[in-house]
Amino acid sequence: MATVTAPAASDARQTGPKPPPKPRFGVGRALGWAFMILVMIVSLFPFYWILRTALSDNNALYAGGDSLLPVQFSWGGFERVFGIQTGQEAIDAGGAGQPIAFWRYLLNSVLVATMVTAGQVFFSAMAAYAFARLRWRHREQVFAVFLAGLMIPAIFTLLPNFVLIKELGLVDTVLGIALPSMLMTPFAVFFLRQFFLGISREVEEAAMVEGASKTRIFFRLILPISAAPISTLSILTYITSWNEYFWPLMVSYTDRSRVLTVALGVFKSQKPQAGPDWAGLMAATLVAALPMLLLFLVFARRIVNSIGFSGIK
Amino acid sequence: MLRRLLLTALLLTTAACGGVGSGGTTGTIEYWLWDSSQQPGYQKCADAFQRQNPGLRIHISQYGWDDYWSKLTASFIADTAPDVFTDQLAKFPQFVDLQVLRPLDDLGPTSDIKDSDYQEGLAELWKGKDGKRYGAPKDWDTIAVFYDTAAVRAAGIDPATLDELTWNPRDGGTFERTIAHLTIDQNGVRGDEPGFDRTRVKTYGLAANGGGGDNWGQTQWSAFTGSAGWQATDKNPWGARFNLDDPVVQDTLNWYFGLVRKGYMASFAAIGGRNAITPDTQIQSGIAAMGLSGSWTISSFTKLTDAAGRKLDIGVAPTPIGPIGKRASMFNGLADSITTFSKQPENAAKWVKFLSGEQCQNIIGESGVVFPARPAGTELAIRYNEKERGLDVSAFTDHIRNRTTFPLPVTSNAADVTALMTPALEAIFLGEAPAASLTRLNAQLNQLFEVAG
Repeated sequence: MATVTAPAASDARQTGPKPPPKPRFGVGRALGWAFMILVMIVSLFPFYWILRTALSDNNALYAGGDSLLPVQFSWGGFERVFGIQTGQEAIDAGGAGQPIAFWRYLLNSVLVATMVTAGQVFFSAMAAYAFARLRWRHREQVFAVFLAGLMIPAIFTLLPNFVLIKELGLVDTVLGIALPSMLMTPFAVFFLRQFFLGISREVEEAAMVEGASKTRIFFRLILPISAAPISTLSILTYITSWNEYFWPLMVSYTDRSRVLTVALGVFKSQKPQAGPDWAGLMAATLVAALPMLLLFLVFARRIVNSIGFSGIK
Repeated sequence: MLRRLLLTALLLTTAACGGVGSGGTTGTIEYWLWDSSQQPGYQKCADAFQRQNPGLRIHISQYGWDDYWSKLTASFIADTAPDVFTDQLAKFPQFVDLQVLRPLDDLGPTSDIKDSDYQEGLAELWKGKDGKRYGAPKDWDTIAVFYDTAAVRAAGIDPATLDELTWNPRDGGTFERTIAHLTIDQNGVRGDEPGFDRTRVKTYGLAANGGGGDNWGQTQWSAFTGSAGWQATDKNPWGARFNLDDPVVQDTLNWYFGLVRKGYMASFAAIGGRNAITPDTQIQSGIAAMGLSGSWTISSFTKLTDAAGRKLDIGVAPTPIGPIGKRASMFNGLADSITTFSKQPENAAKWVKFLSGEQCQNIIGESGVVFPARPAGTELAIRYNEKERGLDVSAFTDHIRNRTTFPLPVTSNAADVTALMTPALEAIFLGEAPAASLTRLNAQLNQLFEVAG
């Protein structure tokens, strides 16, 4: 809404001393607002429900399933997440009794997501540059084969990757978790290539006339021009990597490499035929999602801008 | 900006690679289990073991049930398997087929484990087709009926009468009459009263628990098929011909899943579809008045509270007496297995011997979470439930005393059997197929064993 009304207001100022026409508050506008508020409530309600469940007492939760407020208000869920509760207290509340090193998991998650994002974006940018701006024999054919990689389901590469990581002695290390997606993904290359294709050749030729090498052009020209799509890709990669579950589960065996998503599994089903620790799980989900929400708050405008941005004409 | 980012990444990479060693130190035994509520008890066992064996350390890892098996399978492939892990009867045959378990008879400390030290019939289940022992029993479980005492009393039923219920596939017997009376629709009409609306039920008499295709209906229908005299396979363990075409099982399942159509048992949709809520939460939320569940869920049931935080009064009744004039319960249990990947099998065997020995089993019995495999440990668990929870658990233990148990069907190709059975039974639960469709499933299973051996 803000982006729509702002230019209208500035236009009004430019027309002269006349006071800006007061926006009429008709039925249509009221309906529009009502609809917007409804959409907001619908989309924010799940977050509220997570919070409400996180602040409930797990053993009482189902007895008050239809209550809008937390059932038997309790900080227990959050206490379990941060490992403040003793093992027996946690088990009595339906949680896991093992110690939870929350800050260690958070650090591991940040490490993995940072390594993956930095590596993947940089290497993919280099590949995309080669596919988009350099001329070499069979470039299009190689690219087609490369794109076919997009069609391979991740489950097929799981075991080969696992065996490779194992052979490299990287099982149960943060690097082992990050490595497979650190070098590149076909999607990242494709995404950046499409953007690089749109950069005008004149700029590049001008740089070449000045005597710049291909490497220099890549670092000094292509990368700075592409700041917007690169930041979009970075944020997407960061979030994907943050949410990754199965691979870290396979590679990590101890606390030293366990990431947040895997640690959240602790709160899930503990024994067959008995209810999970919903309060703990929701508290943990909330805490784990918080960094991503912050990331979005800070970069949201940048993402929106970069989608509309199409390079220098 | 980019350069700084790259530099940071490089630094972080080096930092991450830094203080990382390779694998565990010698003398540390890796032990895996899935039930978090059992972990404190086994930690006590580990502490006691370490005091007796100063050179050895036990490292316990716990993973939730869902992740446990996929992680274990992957660890076999990647050679990152634990030395010892908690094994389950339904999963155990597959591991024997894959040859990832070490026979305990071949290892010094576990070579003298005796069947007679454990509850009758328990230790034998953990022997392979070759007659070798692949697991040392740690606990056992049977099935019983948990009920919400308040709901039962509100229906004018004396909880004591629940011990004498009978069932049959024709009219459901007193068991069906009881759950019909416990069922209440949105208008407050009970299931056995005129005007009952089976499409709008508020409280079901019986909690639902899925089709049961992944575990031979252990907590769903096995108590009924068992008390109708049905056997799943030609012999057990290691049967290779199936009896799902038997009218006895088909009549029983038609009756059991027919309870959904009558409105007496919660439907697939009522319990939340694929992410179904379990019987304990169905009873707590008032969706169901009673439900069948295993002895390992006693602690979950007795912890439940109402919305005001008061403990729910939960009672336990035995499974109903069936057409053969007796009750029946599936008899299942867990055991500790040693993997072929263990670099220190003799040490691992020492730990397994300790886990299945008297001292550790008594520690587990005193924690009251499960019934330990040794009779003495079982007695301690019974006393714990009496004293700490005020709960009479004879509904579970009487099955042992009266020999009314039958073992979980142990077969080869366990993963394929599950893959075929799960959708077939789910279809019956959903009402999409009659129980007669099991004849086709039976042919498929028999064929599977002819092809796969």
